Amino acid sequence: MGMQGDFFQLLKEQGYTLGSSGQVGAGQALTNATTILAFKYRDGVLVAGDRRATAGNMVMYDRTDKVLEIDRHSVMAIAGVPATAYEMVRVLEHSFKYYRRTQLQELSFDGKLRAVSKLLKENVPAALAGTGAVVPVFAGYDLEQGSAKIFFYDILGAEFEGVEYAVSGSGSPTIRGILHYLNTWGEQPLNALPEEQAMVQALRLLTSAAEFDSATGGVNREASLYPVIKLISGAGVQTVPDATLKPLYESQVVRYV
Amino acid sequence: MYEEPYRWVEAVGNRRQYLDEQFKQGSPVVALTYDGGILLTTVSKGTPKLYEIYDRLALGGMGHPTDLEKLRFSLLEMAHVEGFNRSPSDVTGPRLIKYGIAPVIKQAFEEVYKAPFIVRILVAELGQKPEKDALLTINYDGTFEEVTGHAVLAATSAIQAKMLAYLKEQQQATLSLEQALNLALRAWAIGSMAQQQDEADQQAEPKPAVSGAGSSASAIPSSNALIEHVRSLAGERTIECAVLERQAPGSSKYRPLKQADLSRLLPAALQSIVAN
Repeated sequence: MGMQGDFFQLLKEQGYTLGSSGQVGAGQALTNATTILAFKYRDGVLVAGDRRATAGNMVMYDRTDKVLEIDRHSVMAIAGVPATAYEMVRVLEHSFKYYRRTQLQELSFDGKLRAVSKLLKENVPAALAGTGAVVPVFAGYDLEQGSAKIFFYDILGAEFEGVEYAVSGSGSPTIRGILHYLNTWGEQPLNALPEEQAMVQALRLLTSAAEFDSATGGVNREASLYPVIKLISGAGVQTVPDATLKPLYESQVVRYV
Repeated sequence: MYEEPYRWVEAVGNRRQYLDEQFKQGSPVVALTYDGGILLTTVSKGTPKLYEIYDRLALGGMGHPTDLEKLRFSLLEMAHVEGFNRSPSDVTGPRLIKYGIAPVIKQAFEEVYKAPFIVRILVAELGQKPEKDALLTINYDGTFEEVTGHAVLAATSAIQAKMLAYLKEQQQATLSLEQALNLALRAWAIGSMAQQQDEADQQAEPKPAVSGAGSSASAIPSSNALIEHVRSLAGERTIECAVLERQAPGSSKYRPLKQADLSRLLPAALQSIVAN
């Protein structure tokens, strides 16, 4: 019944299934290699992702937005098969709205996490078949508790809290180490970084990931292509415009050796 | 016995009478466009009467709370499934009304063995451009109407006409939110006062129809008197307002006006009542 405010249940009652189950080992691997990251900074949480989409060793598209706003206070960054990931984002977006509008209150942050988990579980057959694995990072601002939160998932839907940061995608091993180093021995821990410094670090991290991972796009200055960076604070989600990233990149990321 | 056509017509007629009776205590709902979008206002008692339906759709209702809930849920369900399966821009007020709930309401109304929906509904749709803004009203028998500028729900069609006439006379080309709220409350007061008048007339024993003409032609009260009327009821009721704002960030344009907004926007005479 709609009285529970569960939109996904409503879709299922109408015969909807998320993704296709596929067959094990059917066809080539469709994984979307990428790098996405999220870390807490002084005012909330920063979520960033490069913009490259690949299929095998082909670059399919270099303007992908992998950091997707789900509502005013939550963002999902996606690594994995884009078709399934975008579909999940659409389901989540409608689910949160539907809950709010039917129940006349916001879905709690924990409720939102469960919703992500449930979708991933629903998607396990496709994930195991290699046609629909999605490994997202979910970040947001919990208005009730007044704090920023980061969670990451495995393809089976297990949810882990990234206390200070979380990463996902093929370029993530490179920057995971850097994040650990920065947070432990850097001049200041990540969660004390002011907004501008946080953005600089995000640009540097994605540039490092692109250095070692062919599937991560990094920054393409000739084409004016900068990563997508979103900041989430108590005031809501804010997308950092390229005009802000450009000078930061040029003054604090580029090194002419 | 309803199988006979005449009986059926009679039964439907009884139904109208019964339903009209149900709205006598209801609170009118006023919707009007202003420079930033659409404003919905009512002064409700107990249960809220204004709701968010979809990104650009708002609902105002009169009648039985449970019936309203039922229809609100079907609207929400249809809107969200359609918005997901097609796209949010395909979720439009007229489609939801004409093909969605109007047939359901009509059927319930005409099935004389079953209970009808005791509701009057107003759906406001914020267009991509101001000239696309639409207001739809639907009656308990399933008849619907689409208008622009302003629309109201009222206890009787006579009161509705009275409120609409007032709005037509007073609405300017562009209203600020503050002006729109003031006007909406005055129009609400026109409706509420007319309801009280009707009730008083009825209690004072039905007089010959001739003398009734005098009271219906009574002059429209001054703006101050209308606001004063709202103030006098504010103890037992709450002023409920919501807007569909064209410039609101994100996809959801619906925003209920909270106490802080109201104490800033309400006419001076009413500010004290929301402050506490």
